[in-house]
Amino acid sequence: MSENKQIVADIDHSLYDFKDIENEQDFYRMKEGLTEETVLKVSEEKNDPEWMRDFRLKCLKLYEEIKMPNWGPSIEGLDMDRISSYVRHKSDMKGKWEDVPEDIKNTFEKLGIPQAERESLAGVGAQYDSELVYHNVKDEVAAQGVIYTDLESALHGEYADMIKEHFMKLVPPTDHKFAALHGAVWSGGSFVYVPKGVKVDIPLQSYFRLNAAGAGQFEHTLIIVDEGADLHFIEGCSAPKYNVANLHAGCVELFVGKNARLRYSTIENWSKNMYNLNTKRAVVEEGGIMEWVSGSFGSHTSYLYPMTILKGNDSKMEFTGITFAGKGQNLDTGAKVVHVGERTSSVISTKSISKDGGIGTYRSSVTIQKTAKKAKASVSCDSLMLDSISRADTIPAMDIRTNDADVGHEAKIGRISDEAVFYLMSRGISEEDAKAMIVSGFANPVSKELPLEYAVEMNNLIKLEMSGH
Amino acid sequence: MSEQSLLQVKDLSVSIDNELPILNKINLDIKPGETHVLMGPNGAGKSTLGFTLMGNPHYQVTGGNIIFDGQDITDFSTDKRAKAGMFLSFQNPYEVPGISLGSFIRNAYHAQTGAPVKLLAFQKSLKAAMQILSMDESYADRDLNVGFSGGEKKKAEILQLLMLNPKFAILDETDSGLDVDAVRTVSKGVEEYQKKKDGALLIITHSTKILESLHVDYTHVLVKGNIVHTGDGSLVDEINEHGFEKYISASNE
Amino acid sequence: MNTDLNMKVNVLPVYTYNFLHVNDSTLSFSDISIDTCSGPEADEVPVGVSLERKIPFDKAGDVFRKNRSRIMSISDDFVMPNGDTSDRDAEQAVRTGLGIDVDRLFVDLSATTDIYTVSENTVVSKPVILRFNMQEGQGNLASYVIHAKKNSEVTVIMDYSSEQSSSGFLGVSTRLLAEEGAKINLIKTQLLGDGFIHFDDIGGACFEKGQINVVSLELGAKNVWTGCYTNLVGKEAVFNCEMGYLCREGRFLDINYVTDHRGKKTDAQMQFKGVLMDNSQKTLRFTIDFKNGSSGSVGNEQEDTLLLSEDVINRSMPIILCQEEDVDGRHGATIGQLGEDLLFYMQSRGIDEEMAKSIMVKARLESVARLIPDPQLAQKVQYYIQNVI
Repeated sequence: MSENKQIVADIDHSLYDFKDIENEQDFYRMKEGLTEETVLKVSEEKNDPEWMRDFRLKCLKLYEEIKMPNWGPSIEGLDMDRISSYVRHKSDMKGKWEDVPEDIKNTFEKLGIPQAERESLAGVGAQYDSELVYHNVKDEVAAQGVIYTDLESALHGEYADMIKEHFMKLVPPTDHKFAALHGAVWSGGSFVYVPKGVKVDIPLQSYFRLNAAGAGQFEHTLIIVDEGADLHFIEGCSAPKYNVANLHAGCVELFVGKNARLRYSTIENWSKNMYNLNTKRAVVEEGGIMEWVSGSFGSHTSYLYPMTILKGNDSKMEFTGITFAGKGQNLDTGAKVVHVGERTSSVISTKSISKDGGIGTYRSSVTIQKTAKKAKASVSCDSLMLDSISRADTIPAMDIRTNDADVGHEAKIGRISDEAVFYLMSRGISEEDAKAMIVSGFANPVSKELPLEYAVEMNNLIKLEMSGH
Repeated sequence: MSEQSLLQVKDLSVSIDNELPILNKINLDIKPGETHVLMGPNGAGKSTLGFTLMGNPHYQVTGGNIIFDGQDITDFSTDKRAKAGMFLSFQNPYEVPGISLGSFIRNAYHAQTGAPVKLLAFQKSLKAAMQILSMDESYADRDLNVGFSGGEKKKAEILQLLMLNPKFAILDETDSGLDVDAVRTVSKGVEEYQKKKDGALLIITHSTKILESLHVDYTHVLVKGNIVHTGDGSLVDEINEHGFEKYISASNE
Repeated sequence: MNTDLNMKVNVLPVYTYNFLHVNDSTLSFSDISIDTCSGPEADEVPVGVSLERKIPFDKAGDVFRKNRSRIMSISDDFVMPNGDTSDRDAEQAVRTGLGIDVDRLFVDLSATTDIYTVSENTVVSKPVILRFNMQEGQGNLASYVIHAKKNSEVTVIMDYSSEQSSSGFLGVSTRLLAEEGAKINLIKTQLLGDGFIHFDDIGGACFEKGQINVVSLELGAKNVWTGCYTNLVGKEAVFNCEMGYLCREGRFLDINYVTDHRGKKTDAQMQFKGVLMDNSQKTLRFTIDFKNGSSGSVGNEQEDTLLLSEDVINRSMPIILCQEEDVDGRHGATIGQLGEDLLFYMQSRGIDEEMAKSIMVKARLESVARLIPDPQLAQKVQYYIQNVI
């Protein structure tokens, strides 16, 4: 059924890179820089409960104390004094698409979001700059008791205690500098709760658009999949390109209950002025399954390593990822897993492609604690180098503290072979298409994990990157 | 001349890495519908000729030219040669993970014709071609050549020959490493190509198994980069009986 | 002379997450007695080899400094990897596995170097054998430069031994230069006593078609740091390494091996086979670094670690850095206990689990021990292995 997956239609280069001129009086924009004053202002804007306001201030202090990482890509180009941490449209969040302000609606229409909702999604959230502008869940899904709402309303509604119990417990603000930053200025994002035994057949989606120049997006996604429940959550991200740095320091916390399953898919196509310092983490209870599918195409600089804690016995995780580092990009991506429970298993499988001077780094850690008897872990990472000015680095780590574990690791770095290109060209395919085909084939294990529309989008992105636009 | 040539090779000399000359002033003249056989001992340069005709950049043409269908294609890229109607069945077809055989052929077909592929008609003819080659239909959905046995790979090459239907096909050792049944199946596919169209063939082989059921017009013997002898189809039988010794010793003189 | 050691060694070529505590290792002991600051002389200096004794450590590095622009050659297109640490060791005459702190220690304590130079076009058939028969309480720093001139070949064997129950300190630095077409075979067997603190630092460079082969067996001592950094400078330079190790009863082994591919068609093959028992700890960092310009190069690193106790800690960092399209880099690791199928097969032949384990341990170590060219030493190592298992 993968009819046109390999060769895709001509690409509209302006697909992601259009800008909407923001009509200034329609937007509220926080002054650039990060001070106690700005944090309190965000808190006030958000109408935070007291504990949250205090938490933000504590996080700000931590942010000031914690050092920049010494190991990843340089983030010297990011100047927090030039980043506005909060930009929102002056209208409220809408439950009906027709009510979303015209300019924002246009943006999302161009990205095909409402169409996707009508066709194949159980619910959609759309965040524009710092706030959700639209949230909707299909009636039949809501009737199952599934909650899908913005985090701010959840903080004041009947799930307030649940939020307080889980918020930044999995990713504590002490984790790293940008987790602390997130804790201080977070806004927007979604809360999902899937009750016991409920299986949501079609995916929920959140789409993040950062439209303002020189702004930060700090959305917080909190998903709780209760015992025996099942959910597929998709996030998409994009932004137009500006000459000033933008910052995305979101945080995703996922709680996968006993025998529950959560699949979390991401196609990230931030513009190439974005610093993407995102933190994602899941904890999985007994028999639960966490599946990550991750495509990283955009951003100027990325630090992205979704982490899974396999806490319960017999819990499982699978991570499938692809990273395409093109001109001017330094994408440092991978995954982390900690095995705690017995008979836990993890499979990490990644592909990375480097081209036109792009730097692609695969970085990972697999930790097997002493308690994780009969744990199994396997890692395989393949890198494809398309020229000799780019970099493809593989920096994995394994820390194993029990003998009763089975750990395998494989890494390969290579190029597109001349023979393969010649073979395809001998069938009448142009050199550029031959290479694109081989790269698509290389990426196929990832795209086949995605719903069809997203697989097509991913192939579009590969085609776009290969043509060197 | 009553009929125009399809492929003319004029004084073609070839080397690798601009060092070792492998082919020396080769001349060939192939007309539509003709089947030529190129024989010769191991290391004579047979596969080099196939690769050079198809434009493998690894082989450099140091002299002469290749005229195909009225155009000088000596400097054409490989894909342009394919679009012009040339085909090479590889001795060791490349494995390409992630692309299915079916979708690959469809893509190649589309690239060559430029016309949109009518899916149902395409599936139908693919199925028919696979039947001729006794190929299980499931192969269409398997990744191109990945995990195929030697015989399956060769069948997949001939399947592409039938589907792409070129004006001229080079079969490079298509029979090597195959058992009797597989050779029979593959020759059946080649016969199908011969009768379906005015297609010309250059069959490169150092054995003669594949030739038993095929009509042959000309036979060329290549020794140490030179065509030392050209005869008709009966030369195949003669070589089959006596081998290449006489040509090798002649070339040593 | 008693001294405090406080060194940061075996620094990863690129930093990664700090929470793993693998970016480097701290070699810190107070009040270590060091009585000898030069190495033992060879049993015999074979024909074709010349020896200069007791040269100051720093001066002994001159042969590398003289060739520095060649050894460290870098293309204009070079882009640094994220978290690069090469600056740290920039002042070393030749970069080594343990790094600059070893150089500082040798210089601070005025330790000396023996330089073995092999004449051009000479294949030395007899090995140079350096025996370290360490005594209880002894402390020794030793440094060597092995310089194999064009088209020469030499084998150097270093045998570190002491009574099994003894304690002490042994720190060795070996710097290697294989000129065009030259070949250095370095064999190191470490059978030190249960209380020994030991470090073994290697740095090397190979010019065109130069080759360095390292065979190393780390079987004894209490705390061991070992590292090797090889610059494959010239076209078709080669580095081969086979290490076998055994860690038991609270031992600590910390390894850092790096091959730096700069020349075209260079080839590195690294194999690490080991066994962790009781409450031992091992950290293995191994890196293949394909620099821009190393087209046609191949690098392969393989780890095979058998874990035989639930109290072991095993850390592995298999790194591949690459800024060259036309290379083939591979890494593979299998870490775990004895495979169930293998165990079942052995049991079906009447061999019990304990026996099966000891067979497998021996098999692993002996496959490396077999590569020792000196029959006497090979036998000694074999006895040692038989004894401890």
